[in-house]
Amino acid sequence: MIPELGNFALYIAFTLSILLSIFPAIGLKQNNARLMAMAPNLSIGLFVFTLFSFGCLVYAFLTDDFTVVNVAQNSNSALPDQYKFAASFGSHEGSFLLWLLMQSGWSFAVALFSKGLPVDMRTRVLTVLGWISVGFYAYIIISSNPFERTLPYFPIDGRDLNPLLQDIGMIIHPPLLYMGYVGLSISFAFAIAALLSGNLDSTWAKWSRPWTAAAWAFLTLGLTIGSWWAYSELGWGGWWFWDPVENAAFMPWLVATALLHSLAVSEKRNAFKSWTVFLAIAAFSLSLLGTFLVRSGVIVSVHAFATDPERGVFILILLALVIGGSLLLYSLKAGNIKSFGKFSMFSRESMLWGNNILLVAATIVVLMGTLLPLVHKQIGLGTISIGEPFFNQMFTYLIVPFALLLGIAPLVRWKQDKLANFITKPLIVIATSITLSLIWLVVEFPEIKALALLGVTLFIWIMLFTALELKQTLSKVSFSKLPLSHFSMVLGHIGVAFLIAGVALTSQYSVERDVKMNTGDSAELKGYEFKFNHVENIDGPNYDGWAAVITITKQDEFVTKLLAEKRFYAVQRNTMTEAAIDAGFFRDIYISLGERLPDGAWALRIYVKPYIRWIWLGGIIVAFAGLLTLFDRRYRTRKNAKQG
Amino acid sequence: MTKKVSFRFLPLVLFVLLLAFLLKGLFSDPNERDSALIGKPFPQFQLPDLNSDSQIHTEQTLVNEPVLINVWGTWCITCKYELPYLAKLAKEYDVKIVGLYYDQNHAPEFGQYADIPAIRIEVKEMLARLGNPYQYNILDLDRSLSLNLGVTGAPETFIVDGKGIVRMHHMGDVNERIWREKLAPIWNEINQ
Repeated sequence: MIPELGNFALYIAFTLSILLSIFPAIGLKQNNARLMAMAPNLSIGLFVFTLFSFGCLVYAFLTDDFTVVNVAQNSNSALPDQYKFAASFGSHEGSFLLWLLMQSGWSFAVALFSKGLPVDMRTRVLTVLGWISVGFYAYIIISSNPFERTLPYFPIDGRDLNPLLQDIGMIIHPPLLYMGYVGLSISFAFAIAALLSGNLDSTWAKWSRPWTAAAWAFLTLGLTIGSWWAYSELGWGGWWFWDPVENAAFMPWLVATALLHSLAVSEKRNAFKSWTVFLAIAAFSLSLLGTFLVRSGVIVSVHAFATDPERGVFILILLALVIGGSLLLYSLKAGNIKSFGKFSMFSRESMLWGNNILLVAATIVVLMGTLLPLVHKQIGLGTISIGEPFFNQMFTYLIVPFALLLGIAPLVRWKQDKLANFITKPLIVIATSITLSLIWLVVEFPEIKALALLGVTLFIWIMLFTALELKQTLSKVSFSKLPLSHFSMVLGHIGVAFLIAGVALTSQYSVERDVKMNTGDSAELKGYEFKFNHVENIDGPNYDGWAAVITITKQDEFVTKLLAEKRFYAVQRNTMTEAAIDAGFFRDIYISLGERLPDGAWALRIYVKPYIRWIWLGGIIVAFAGLLTLFDRRYRTRKNAKQG
Repeated sequence: MTKKVSFRFLPLVLFVLLLAFLLKGLFSDPNERDSALIGKPFPQFQLPDLNSDSQIHTEQTLVNEPVLINVWGTWCITCKYELPYLAKLAKEYDVKIVGLYYDQNHAPEFGQYADIPAIRIEVKEMLARLGNPYQYNILDLDRSLSLNLGVTGAPETFIVDGKGIVRMHHMGDVNERIWREKLAPIWNEINQ
């Protein structure tokens, strides 16, 4: 019964999305206020019914309703409740329902918080969202219905196959990423609405900015937590793997970052307008493309078992309509967009132009790296795989000009600045940065590695320039009057600096060692002494196993005591390695317990990873900076507030 | 002006090209349909027996008479319900059933290795309790044969005829109804 209600609610939501895509548009055409006023109400209805439908699916999972195909295939009765919940959006069908829930949630938010927008603009934005929704609701109902029944013959139990993926990280990070992906549809809708109206003044950019920042912040947080989860759960100390799934999330992030900066130029200087619209289209298109690549099985990974080509074709048609349609609209209409803001070769605008070029170049690198194997195979050249070395090398080239620009840009004036003012200062800063970096590396590490020096220099470069910029700004405006969006920029840049330093240091100076240890044995790594005390039995709620107790000392001083575990989950017949991590601001100590060897000794792998926390710290700072923008008073649109 | 126009169409043109590739990619993917195996010879393999490392099975030893290949594991709950019926099939209808033991713990890249002696004990205990339908069990430790067969979960069952051609791929448990409606017609046909 409950699944039928969920199904019914889904159909109602589909109907509402059709209404939303038609009637407000007619209202716009006829200038009929009543029809236009339907848009926000329909959006609210869409959200309410989708939420109800999602609730029904969760209920079916929690109550082990194996008469529902989706539940039977993706859950089983022995699964703990939180994983049953996670399984409800872990499957293909469920994840699409989650997608729709978020899509309608964002539309709902637009309907609630955009009362200050002119009625026609608000109606247009919601209508565009309605068009996107129609496609996705049709898709889920026709080819991916999560409520399909197995009746009259249903299985005794579900066939969940992969308990390895059952982890708390799986519960939180996909929804965050989805929030980001789908949130970009709002920037997209604003861009399309502006294109349709032909009215691309700077107010459009102002309206779009907080939504873009919100989506971008979610995307940042999703990527950061995903990376942290991989590090702490997969048991081999990596934090980024350049696999297609990660790339699919990384590309929209890169473009959204470019979009955020381009929107600033459009808002403040009335320039880059056509380019900004293009980025808004590209960011959402890449989200869709990423979802397609991951979900359709076009890019085959070892674990992408049987997929249904029918679904792939459906998504592809959807992509063709949404992306192709918007690009066509862009090609036809962008010629009418005139950017009035003029700027010289050396100005804040040109700096941000550089930022955009580099971010787009990075996106192209990732896109090529992800798609080239596919194209290669299609044109009959056989299978190739593009791996980490390619991406790492390309990103090393790109990050240097990016970080250098990032340091200077906030100090350069809009419109025009004198290049002569920017010769002595950067020279002093770069000299200081290199000197400080050298001191840092000499004091802390046994040898100086070129890439580490580069990374740390860029870190100090950004920090020094950010401090200079803040000092300069505060000499003009008092601290309390500084807009929040300015802090947001400062924080965002500091976050990137931490990220760069973290990546450089941890990739250059991480050390690992495989050791075989008996009770009482010791091993040394990077000045730390690891003493294998004993192995004890552990008895958890749904597992048992062994824990190796290891005491770590440095120069005879106690550092910490770690428990590296090997767990056996009785119900799932599953072994998990629980890495022991001593997290620190300056370094992580990471121990994973391997096999018990025939002679009774244990195999262990120990790592010391300097500054790895800075990567996620950077990510969290950046995400926080994005959320901070939302509270800037300039972006709070009030009813009847004057625009522009 | 014309130059400017063509420039703006560039993203669209590139996207259409990409679309064509994706469409082609969607249909040329060998992994897309597991039913693609039907009518094709059983994949080549060389895997040890579950109970003895020294005994090696290949597709040649497997398929010289009609056989039912059942993918299963002791960790799989549905398999427990399926076993008694399979045992009945083997005993009463004289169906030759070979087990393909699917282990899901073995992941050397994650530092996890299957505990084979423990698996042997579990299998022995479980088959003694629920009935043993299997002539023998093949251990597919790295799941390579399962991957080639397009296995998506457990239990799954394949029917292979005397010439080594895969005739049926059934996902889910085999019970009396499934046997009667889906598997028996093919089984009887290839046994004539």
